[in-house]
Amino acid sequence: MTATTPASLEPALLEVRGLGVDFTAPDGSPVHGVRGVDLTLRRGETVAVVGESGSGKSTTALALMRMLPGNGRIVSGSVRLDRTDLTTLGEDELRTVRGARIGMIFQDPMTSLNPVLTIGRQLDEVLRAHAREHDAGHRDRRARRRRAQELLELVGIPDPARRLDDHPHQFSGGQRQRILIAMALANEPDVLIADEPTTALDATVQEQILQLLAELNEKTGTALLLITHNLGVVARSCDRVLVMYGGTVVEDGATADVLGSPRHPYSAGLLAAVPRLSSPSGTRLYGIPGSPPDLSLPVVGCAFAARCPSADAECGTVPPPLVADGGAADVRRVACHHPGGSGVTEVPRRVPSEVPVGAARTDTVDGGAPLLEATGLRKEFGRRARGGRRDPLVAVDGVDLRLDAGETLGIVGESGSGKSTLARILVHAHPADAGVLKLRGSDVTRPSRAALRALRQEVQMVFQDPYASLNPRMTAGRIIAEPLLARGGFEDRAARRRRVGELLTQVGLDPSAADRRPRAFSGGQRQRIGIARALAPEPSVLVCDEPVAALDVSVQAQIINLLTDLQRELGLALVFIAHDLAVVRQVSHRIAVMRHGRFVETGRADDLCDSPREPYTRALLAAAPEPVRVPAAA
Amino acid sequence: MTSTVSSAPAVRRGTAARHPYLAALTTTRARIGLVLVGAVVLAGLLAPLLSSHAPTAQSGRALVPPGTGGHLLGTDDLGRDLLSRLLYGIRTDLEVIALAVPIGALLGCAFALLAAVHPVLDTVVQRAFDLVLAFPGLILALAVTAILGPGRLPVIVVITLAEIPVFGRQLRAGILVQRERDYAVAARVGGTRRARLLIRHILPNCADPLVVQLAVSLTVAVFLEGAMSFLGVGVRPPEPTLGNSLSQALPYLSQAPYFAAGPLLIVTLLVLGLSLLSEALNRETRR
Repeated sequence: MTATTPASLEPALLEVRGLGVDFTAPDGSPVHGVRGVDLTLRRGETVAVVGESGSGKSTTALALMRMLPGNGRIVSGSVRLDRTDLTTLGEDELRTVRGARIGMIFQDPMTSLNPVLTIGRQLDEVLRAHAREHDAGHRDRRARRRRAQELLELVGIPDPARRLDDHPHQFSGGQRQRILIAMALANEPDVLIADEPTTALDATVQEQILQLLAELNEKTGTALLLITHNLGVVARSCDRVLVMYGGTVVEDGATADVLGSPRHPYSAGLLAAVPRLSSPSGTRLYGIPGSPPDLSLPVVGCAFAARCPSADAECGTVPPPLVADGGAADVRRVACHHPGGSGVTEVPRRVPSEVPVGAARTDTVDGGAPLLEATGLRKEFGRRARGGRRDPLVAVDGVDLRLDAGETLGIVGESGSGKSTLARILVHAHPADAGVLKLRGSDVTRPSRAALRALRQEVQMVFQDPYASLNPRMTAGRIIAEPLLARGGFEDRAARRRRVGELLTQVGLDPSAADRRPRAFSGGQRQRIGIARALAPEPSVLVCDEPVAALDVSVQAQIINLLTDLQRELGLALVFIAHDLAVVRQVSHRIAVMRHGRFVETGRADDLCDSPREPYTRALLAAAPEPVRVPAAA
Repeated sequence: MTSTVSSAPAVRRGTAARHPYLAALTTTRARIGLVLVGAVVLAGLLAPLLSSHAPTAQSGRALVPPGTGGHLLGTDDLGRDLLSRLLYGIRTDLEVIALAVPIGALLGCAFALLAAVHPVLDTVVQRAFDLVLAFPGLILALAVTAILGPGRLPVIVVITLAEIPVFGRQLRAGILVQRERDYAVAARVGGTRRARLLIRHILPNCADPLVVQLAVSLTVAVFLEGAMSFLGVGVRPPEPTLGNSLSQALPYLSQAPYFAAGPLLIVTLLVLGLSLLSEALNRETRR
């Protein structure tokens, strides 16, 4: 490997040119995961690759280290690390690069550590693997242990000497991610690739990890390539950003420029679609219409053309090259025929909803009984500690809530706060262990069979995961018809079909969708089917458990807008559960912050976000990353 | 209202539309399996046409080598035509297996569904399964034969009994997993009744491992029948089966190796074919 280069400008450390990756679909047809990606990373730089699922960002990262899964292969381009082309190296030579010169951090810290080995052992393993390349030698076991201890210290694990002998389960999620970062840094790599390092973590922990990565970048000079879907994370931690869409880079430039004044319509749309914590309750979100491209089809022209407001005939036929857009090359590049074109400028502006949703029912019929009322709800899950001692997990611990007709109650909490369990109690998927649940004033905590049937009509649920919540063996039509059958009155096939068609139209799908199975739909479309199913019995309460957590940002906005539209049209009361405070603020009238199974703070959405009383709420607010510091006011 | 998002949702092309079982059956692995199993089954079905002698008719010329005196595979120690005995043996085997395995599978599934209804029933059914599984297959075979006497019936009963817990356990495990999935909870919240939830929603999603198990169980059944007949507790002679042909050939192994070759080859082909099929199904459904 060449070590010295003439110090002209700053030499690129990692240079990717025209990278193309194909996957082989199960039926043998090629899927173009990545096409013609250019990327330059300089020493000590932090670069983010942003994109939605299927944009090719993770594939690019894996391709850099030649770690593509078995059905993927690099079909074009080069990856140069200090002038060595990694795409032509043999397995043995690659091993000297992986883990030594390029370190990698993965998304899920819970599964990326071996549960039966101590942390010390696992760090030792990494150090030993590359001991030969180090001159000083981590050959001596004690030296390696010292280094491991140093590393833990570096990533901020308290009392590292003792904790080296602990197993992964003795660490929290955030700590495990720290340990993985320590492992990636063990051999002082030049490049650290972090693939969605904070996606599996809670907002407050995410913040800490990002800070750690920034600090390490400063301290060790390791260049950081951060792969993420979260624009807020980018804004917080990276100098430069690449926006990817449909396997291509659509925009590349300094973070402040790209996020401040996006030139590509996709970047602009994506930015506009991100819910901002600073926007008041009732702000309508902007969603990019349509769904991401099908990568198995050959793409002619711009991948974004089908969803682009300013697309014309040229966009549909000629793929736009990634060219410098004003100023020197390498500073700002956009792949668009009409950069910053007509349609784009209007896009990012947020449309305030025509009817201010909040105003309509700030003081709803206070005299009447609330639609849904809970007092002292409690739920325990039987769990045993070591030695068979009973050690129940209290998921929901005395929750009081009240929901009026047509109102949205947002519930925010981090993972493990009990919000999903609460949702399931509200819809009677689990019985509550204690407390009283009242629907329209009548006690339905332990309903009789008949009462439960009535209740199933009134209270419905939208689930988090649109992939798991639809029966893969049934067509969309049958899935939506299930509650109709259960409720009765739709024994006639034609009538049922008609109603299913109506429901599909209501959620923005074509009635012909009824004959297809869930897997034929994209994530956003599946969630629409889930909503149609929930609407089928004509409920008055809709409990939405993280309805957009599994969706891409541009699609997330579509679903949230659909829910608020439906609420206005049908007068639904919504319980909207999410971990993202920004999303919750925009849809909710009132917000409850949940922690350890309790509501720590409840209040009007804007009041709670603008002047939180509890420290925990303040921490949550502070941790929510904003893509742009000051939101561009219309 | 939001506008209609797309008139045609992105339908994935190719295999996505095809049923995975069909896709599995078109793989090379499965095709070879199908040919092997098909050939053996066909040989059994066409036994009356393919053989020139009755399986029990004695010609008076014992242990003639293949090809002599109109006996294509030769004769056995009692002068019976080996080819006819082989073909009719396949027939007997297939009849027993084709009856016993599906019955065992159905009963096993029925018990598993029963167990899913209530925790107490679950315990009862599970312990009953344990009881059956506690006996090794052959001990069970001997015990059943001791009660019922030798013949076809005990073979069917033994295979059925052996398969019930296998399928029961398999399905129960599937139900326990699927029951907690979001779609099952969604159906419950939607008001779907328990029986319907179990049969229309959960059962189809548990089917994949059962189909694979069916192919595996057929393989096991071939062995079990063979072993029972070999020990003389199965189908009664002179009726030929693959197992008793084999046991009959054993004393003459050095003298007349062709005697044992036929049944051995057929059992091998059948097991190989079924294994290839189950493997192909398994791979395709695991995707």
